[in-house]
Amino acid sequence: MATTEQPERRALGDRLYDVAFHNRVWRSVFRSGYPNTPRNQMLVVATNVFLHLHPTRIHRTHVKITHTFCLGGLSFFLFLGLTISGVLLMFYYVPSIDRAYTDILALENNVRFGLLMRNMHRWMAHGMVLTVLMHMMRVFYTGAYKPPREFNWVVGVVLLVLTLLLSFTGYLLPWDQLAIWAITVGTNMVGSAPILGEPNRFVLVGGFQVGQSALIRFYTLHVIGLPLLAAVFMTVHFWRIRRDGGLARPL
Amino acid sequence: MAVAPSVPPEPVSQAVRGRQRRQREEELLVWPDLVFVEFISAVVFTISMLILSVMVNSILLDQANPNLTPNPSKAPWYFLNLQELLLHMHPALAGVIVPTIALIALGAIPYYDNSNEGQGEWFATARSKALTVVGAVVGSVGSLLLILFDASKHVQIYESLTGSVWPAQLNFLRSLRAIQTEIAWPDSWTKVPLGSKVLRTDLIGLPTIDLNVNLPGVLVEQIIPTSTMIGLPILLSIVAWRARLARSRRDHMILMFSGFIAVYVTLTIVGTFFRGAGQNLVPYSIFIDAEH
Repeated sequence: MATTEQPERRALGDRLYDVAFHNRVWRSVFRSGYPNTPRNQMLVVATNVFLHLHPTRIHRTHVKITHTFCLGGLSFFLFLGLTISGVLLMFYYVPSIDRAYTDILALENNVRFGLLMRNMHRWMAHGMVLTVLMHMMRVFYTGAYKPPREFNWVVGVVLLVLTLLLSFTGYLLPWDQLAIWAITVGTNMVGSAPILGEPNRFVLVGGFQVGQSALIRFYTLHVIGLPLLAAVFMTVHFWRIRRDGGLARPL
Repeated sequence: MAVAPSVPPEPVSQAVRGRQRRQREEELLVWPDLVFVEFISAVVFTISMLILSVMVNSILLDQANPNLTPNPSKAPWYFLNLQELLLHMHPALAGVIVPTIALIALGAIPYYDNSNEGQGEWFATARSKALTVVGAVVGSVGSLLLILFDASKHVQIYESLTGSVWPAQLNFLRSLRAIQTEIAWPDSWTKVPLGSKVLRTDLIGLPTIDLNVNLPGVLVEQIIPTSTMIGLPILLSIVAWRARLARSRRDHMILMFSGFIAVYVTLTIVGTFFRGAGQNLVPYSIFIDAEH
């Protein structure tokens, strides 16, 4: 007599896996499981809001670290990291010439991880200037600015300027001797332009010397004005990479 | 029921189909091959930033004091190249005109070099590596020599080598500024009246400017620096072209871009580490200042 094959009793691990990932809550967030077939892997890249910046397929050479050194991606990643650490710093910082410096001292001495947050923000800012410059060099030496990517190179130059301005406006905020005199030297350079220089410097600094008006202007530009502008240009930059056919290939 | 006229498939040659298949085979899936590379690089970068931030504290000097100018006062490091230029030429030229033109020129690169040559690979054209090295060496050594000349280092070297003083009749070659100060220019050259009709600043509501042009000053602050900054790159391009090193537009672009980056880096390093009190050419570190 033939015996019917009975389903094996399932292992504990499998059952725990089911409890963790096959319930309504998890399924409401992630509609499908780990994408383990090429079709699902392409689907997850195409349909996930964070991943859909990518194409679903990419040429072999572009995955190699030595082709891009991840420099553009790292610049964007640093921008995100700077946003997070910057928001945390904003909790403790008041942009007034009476309070700014003591707020930084208090942040360093009295706030748990305050000094670490400030260090992270500063080193990431320096790092972003470097990665953006190196990304520009990577794009140049791989000839990736050539048609049809001319305009994206121009957008990139604008983003370079915005990165420098973001860093420059942030430089004033600790309100120490380094900050005020660096900004004085920098804004004096603007003032030296023929005819329109001095009015421009006056608008930027909000007075004849770097003081409260300059601090609030630089603060506003640093925390909202320039980041928004940079976000717009970054959106265009990333969109154009896809529109122009992905990373450049030899023709 | 009417049957829609079927469109015959486009004839695809065997060669095209083969190429398409090869291209597909050369491609990888973004998940997992790229997404994981990005993820790992983000993790590595976060950890290294964290370690750096734990080990090195950012500088905080005394509270800002508008009445106490530190010597030297320096801009942020990425603008120290412009501050370095400021020492050698008119401030309007160094602080505004040169960076503006440099950025416009940078943005214009793809509109000048619009061939498809050398696209999508590192140093893809034949002479690109040699051009990069030549541009970088000429740019860095050239700007360094100009800085040393303006700091009268050639005078010091001459005096220490020969043991005698720099000949007085060559005093005008001590530095760039010496051309203005060490030559007895006649008054008709140093004060050329142009009156108030040249720059009509009154038309835009600004005070009138009675222009007195100091020709030697203009020569030293504007004409010589401008012709140096335009002339030397052109000279380099011509030499590279005559030497059959630079032949296409891409070649000239590589030469100019490498030279530009080298000059930028050199000026930044000199401005950061070799400009001390009074902007004199001496070793300098901001960290020494920060310690007391």
